[in-house]
Amino acid sequence: MKRLIPEALLVALAGVAIAFIANAVSPRGLSLSRDYFFQNQAAATAVPAGTNSAHDPNPAVAHHNELAARLQSKGMSLADSNQVVTLFHDPRTEQGLVVFVDAREDAAYQAGHIPGAYQFYHYYPEKFAPVVMPVCQSAQQIVVYCNGGNCTDSEMAATMLQGWGIPGPKLMVYEGGITEWTNNRMPVELGERKSGQIRP
Amino acid sequence: MQLSRKNTVEILSVAVRWFLGALFVYMGMVKALHPEHFLKLVRDYHMVGSPYVLNAIAAALPWFEVFCGLLLLAGIAVRGTALMLILMLVPFTIAIFRRALEMAGSQLIPFCAVRFDCGCGAGEVLICRKLAENFFLLLFAILLLAGMGRRWCLRYSLFSAAALPEPASAPELDKTVAPATQSRH
Repeated sequence: MKRLIPEALLVALAGVAIAFIANAVSPRGLSLSRDYFFQNQAAATAVPAGTNSAHDPNPAVAHHNELAARLQSKGMSLADSNQVVTLFHDPRTEQGLVVFVDAREDAAYQAGHIPGAYQFYHYYPEKFAPVVMPVCQSAQQIVVYCNGGNCTDSEMAATMLQGWGIPGPKLMVYEGGITEWTNNRMPVELGERKSGQIRP
Repeated sequence: MQLSRKNTVEILSVAVRWFLGALFVYMGMVKALHPEHFLKLVRDYHMVGSPYVLNAIAAALPWFEVFCGLLLLAGIAVRGTALMLILMLVPFTIAIFRRALEMAGSQLIPFCAVRFDCGCGAGEVLICRKLAENFFLLLFAILLLAGMGRRWCLRYSLFSAAALPEPASAPELDKTVAPATQSRH
């Protein structure tokens, strides 16, 4: 016991030090100071209790209401399937005035995204910002999506874009995400953006 | 016969040490290569309020697991590392159990039907299988803490004067040497 506790402490201290060094060195390391989920901002703009947002026995409806209320409090809006399909077919999409932003990681994006969508994985914004920001600044409408369901990456990505100066009214979060898009048998682009590989 | 049984136990306990070490290296690396995914999973437990503490856990824990796994594989500070594994496994298992209870209650499904990505590095798992796995991992770690797995270690204990384990046949050798030295005088 006399040797065990000091040994365990030494393992713990060395392990923690090495772990933080490894994170700092790793190209996929996390930033320790970044608020990835905008929790501090969420606390400041919390939807008051007692609103209609959360009080529904159906979890899916409650989630929808909560998301809509959060987005509204930030000046953004929620997009449903019909709105997204309408925007996809809008002539302004070809002109770059309506932009789709995919908030998922590389592998998911490459496996299939809304045709013409830009990738913006908000955990590594430096990688995507140089391409996405100019496009979003000149767009009239931006639809941000991820997997749908409980995926919050689209909301986080939209919040980050807003924090970088994109006006809230331009930003819409597609709640159903790529899952609903593919379930509705909408076209999906494989690989890179504008790869030409469309899965009908 | 007794030596053979003791050897077998020793070799099995080294296999346990290597298995635990390899498992923690693998699980740690899976998370370390996608720390943002692990960050989301840790957040889903709603146990940490501060985003900075959340970041620190998600950033450091995977690499810490890899570090502990490498120590076990190499046979360095085995008991101290085993204690660290136990101190990680116990709260993790409790947290997984509590989350599964919540999910079973909210989804109105049997407890053992609950399936989710617990953040262990193995993707989505059935909760009962995961709890059983963690039980055996804890058992293995306790065996190492109790002193098993000493063979083939680079440095079994960091603070012991005899850093290497004693050979199993040493007592028998001492008994055979003594009569030969006495007869010369």
